Amino acid sequence: MIRIRARLLVSAAAVALVVSACTAGAGLQPSSSSGGQSTESTPSATGGSTGTETSGTSGPSGSEPAPSDGTLTLGLVLEPVSLDFTTQSGAAIPQVLLDNVYETLVNQAQDGTIVPGLAEKWTVSPDGKTYDFTLRSGVTFSDGQPFTADDAVFSINYVKTKWTVNVAGAMKVVASATAVSPTELKVVLSHPDNLWLFKMTTRIGAMMSPKHVNALATEAVGTGPYVFSNWIHGDSITLTRNPHYWGSPALEKTIVFKYFKDPTAMNNALLTGQIQVITTVQIPQALKQFDDKSKYTIVDGTTNGKVMMTMNDGRAPLNDVRVRQAINYALDKEAILKGAWAGYGTVIGSHEVPTDPWYVDLANRYPHDVAKAKQLLAEAGQTHLTLTLALPPVPYAAAAAPIIVSQLAEAGITVKTTDVTFDNRLAKIFAKPYDYDLTIINHVEQYDVTTVFDGTPDYYTQYTNPEVARLEAEGLAGDNEPFIKDFQQVMRILADDAAAAWLWAFPNLMVADANVHGLPQNAIGESLNVFGLYTS
Amino acid sequence: MTAFMTPPTTPPMPEPALLTNPRTQRRNPLLLVGGTIVALIVATALVSFFWTPFPTILTDTDHLASPPGAGGHLLGTDLYGRDILSWLMVGAQTTLYVGIVAVGIAAVIGTPLGILAGMVRPAWSEFLMRVTDIWLAFPALLMALIFATVFGASITSAMTAIGIASVPSFVRVVRSGTIVVMNADYVLAARVAGRRGPAIAMRHVLPNIAGLVIVQCSVSYAVAILAEAALSYLGLAGGPTTPSWGLMLFQGQAVISGHPLLVIWPGVAIGLAVLGFNLFGDGLRDRYDPRLSGR
Repeated sequence: MIRIRARLLVSAAAVALVVSACTAGAGLQPSSSSGGQSTESTPSATGGSTGTETSGTSGPSGSEPAPSDGTLTLGLVLEPVSLDFTTQSGAAIPQVLLDNVYETLVNQAQDGTIVPGLAEKWTVSPDGKTYDFTLRSGVTFSDGQPFTADDAVFSINYVKTKWTVNVAGAMKVVASATAVSPTELKVVLSHPDNLWLFKMTTRIGAMMSPKHVNALATEAVGTGPYVFSNWIHGDSITLTRNPHYWGSPALEKTIVFKYFKDPTAMNNALLTGQIQVITTVQIPQALKQFDDKSKYTIVDGTTNGKVMMTMNDGRAPLNDVRVRQAINYALDKEAILKGAWAGYGTVIGSHEVPTDPWYVDLANRYPHDVAKAKQLLAEAGQTHLTLTLALPPVPYAAAAAPIIVSQLAEAGITVKTTDVTFDNRLAKIFAKPYDYDLTIINHVEQYDVTTVFDGTPDYYTQYTNPEVARLEAEGLAGDNEPFIKDFQQVMRILADDAAAAWLWAFPNLMVADANVHGLPQNAIGESLNVFGLYTS
Repeated sequence: MTAFMTPPTTPPMPEPALLTNPRTQRRNPLLLVGGTIVALIVATALVSFFWTPFPTILTDTDHLASPPGAGGHLLGTDLYGRDILSWLMVGAQTTLYVGIVAVGIAAVIGTPLGILAGMVRPAWSEFLMRVTDIWLAFPALLMALIFATVFGASITSAMTAIGIASVPSFVRVVRSGTIVVMNADYVLAARVAGRRGPAIAMRHVLPNIAGLVIVQCSVSYAVAILAEAALSYLGLAGGPTTPSWGLMLFQGQAVISGHPLLVIWPGVAIGLAVLGFNLFGDGLRDRYDPRLSGR
C-alpha cells in the first residue's frame, strides 16, 4: 500500500513538473546568473569549495551606476496563481520572487559554479555527506527580524515536511539540519548527492521566515534586495527596493512585472513604451520590427530549455526503437529550427543543452536521411504509420508542428495534429494514462534528465531502461569525474535509443529599450533576477 | 395541434409570392455578382480536391515567408514555407465546410421550430419566442469556447456551436413567414377541408417560405465564415496544419509589419467570400422575400 502511494505521489509530482514545464515552456526563464557555463565546470561542490564574493548578477563591469528612484517595467507571459511556490508548481512564481525577494544559501554563478549567497563559505566532508555552512551575519528579513541558522534549519525542514510540489523531493536526501550557532549550519545527507548543493540554488533553497509561512500565498518576506509590494491580479506584480538590504542596494527602485497573454500585445507595449523589456520573445520571426539598434537591444543567449518532440515510448508503435529512430532520421532539425524559431537556438540530439557539464554533441546522431527512415520503418513493419501530435498552447509547438508534419510525411508517416488547449487534456498526457503518441514540449528545468528520463516508466516519456537508471544513481552518488562520465553515457544511450526527438536548445531571447542595462545574457537559474537592472 | 387559431389581431398580409417579373430577375446585379463570387469559391474548393500547386502539408524551408513568385510559389509562402495559393485553395474547402455545418444545423433546427412557433396558439408561440430570445442572448463565440473546452478544439465543434447559436435567427424569420402563409385563403381552405397541422406545414407552409429560408441561409453563411475566421484566429478551430483562411490571418498577424502579404491574402479571401455570400443573399431576398415585393 505504501509502495502504491509512493508511486502515485511520484506520478502526481511528475505531472506538476511537466505541466509547469510546458507552460513555462513558453520560454519564460531568464535567470539570475548570466554568462556562459563552461563545459569543464561542474554543478557539484563535492570536495568542498569556498568563495569570497557574492554571486551578483550580471551588470556591466566598471561603471556601475548609482541607485535611482526610477521604475522599470518588464513584459512577461505567465502570471503566477499565488505567491506560494511551496504548494504551487510552475516557473511563474520563482521567476519573480527567487533571488529578488527570497535568497538562497548558495548561488549559481555565471560559469555554473556554486558561489556564496547567504552562506559566506562552506566545507564538505570527504565522504560527501556533511556540509558545514558559515552564514553571513547582519542579514535581516524585510520585516526587520534577523536571519540566523535557526531560520535556515526551519526552511530546510519546511521543504521536507510541508512543501507539496515535486521539486521538494530533492530535499529528501537531507538526514538532518542543525544550527550549531546563529551563524553556523550543519547539514548531513543520508548519502552523497552531487546535485544537492546545486538544488539549494533553486527555489527549494529559499530561506524563509518561520513567522510568515502561514501567509505565503499573499505575502513574501525574504532577505533579498527587493520586497514584494503590490499585485494587481491579471495585470502586474510590483517589487520595490529593500532599503535594509545587507548587500549593496538594488539599482532601480521599482520593478514592475507586467503580464501579457498575447505576444503581439507585448510587442506593441514595447513599441509604445508601456514596458521596457520583453523578457521572452514568443515569435522570433517578428524580431525584425526591433532591428533599430539605436532604440532596442536584442539579447540572444542560452537557457536550460530543451525543446523536444516527446514520443510515447511505452505504447505501440513508438515502443519500437526502429520507429523512433526512423522518426529522428526523417526530421531535418536544422530546417525545423530555421523555420520554427528563425534559427535562434542550437540543434541538440539528447536531453541536454550545450552549457550542461556533461554535454556531448549529439546533434548529428541522426542526420536527415529519408531513405534510411523508410528502411527502418519497413523493417519494423510500419510502412503506413499514422500518429497523433498533441500540441500544447505554446508558440514553439505551433511553430514546429507544420514543419515536422511535412518532414514526416516525406518518410511516409501521416501525422495528425490536435490542439490540447485545456488543462484536463494536458493532464491526460503528462499523467497516467499518458494518452498521446507525440507532443512538443520545452523542458526548462536545469539538469532535469534524472526526472524526464529516469529509466523507469513512471513518467510521461515512459522510457524504460535499467541501465540509465543505474548510471544516474551511480553518477549522483559518485565522485565528480565518474559522475560526469556516467551522465555523458546516459546522454549517448538516450540518443541511441531515440528516446525522444530532441529539436533545439531554447534560446534566451529578449528585447529591451536600448537604455536598459544589466540584462542577463544567458538564463541559467529559475529566477528573472532584476537586481542588476538599471536604465541610463 | 389539432386546432389552429389564427391570431385575430394579425392584419391581412399580401399573398406570399414567388412570382416576380422575369425581366427584373435578369437585371439583378447583386445576385449576379454575389452568385459569381460564390461560384468561384465553390469552383476553387472543388479544384483543390484534385489539384493544388503544392501539397498544403509541404513546408519549403528554403523559402520561408517568400514574396510572390519565389521558388515557384505564385503568391509566395507563409512563415513556415507553405505555398499560400495552395492554402487559399484548400482554405476555400474549409470555408464552405464551416458554412454547410453551421448553416445546416441552424436551418434543420430553426426551420421546424419557426414553423411550429408560427402555427401554434399565440400563448405557445409567445412562449417559444421568449425561449428563442434567451437563446439569442447567448453569445455565439462564448458557445464556441464552451464547445472547444468540452469536445476539444476542432472546426466541427466550433461550427456546431456557431450553428446552434444561429438557430434563433432562423426561428424568427421562419415564424414571421409562417404567420403570413397561415393567413392565406388556401390555408384557411385546407383547414376547413380538415387537413391536419403537419400536412399543412409540409404541403403549404414549407414550400412558400423556402425562399425566406434560402435567403437566411446565405446571410448566415457569411456570418459562419467570419466566425470561423475569428475562432481560428483565437486558435479554437482546427489545428495549425488545417488550412483555413482564419488561421492564415492568425499566423500572419504576428509578423504583419515584416510580411504584410501574409495577412492581406487571407484577408482579401475572407472579405470576398463574405461579400459574395451577402450579395447573393441580398439578391435572393430581393427576388423571393414577399415583404420586399413591389420595391
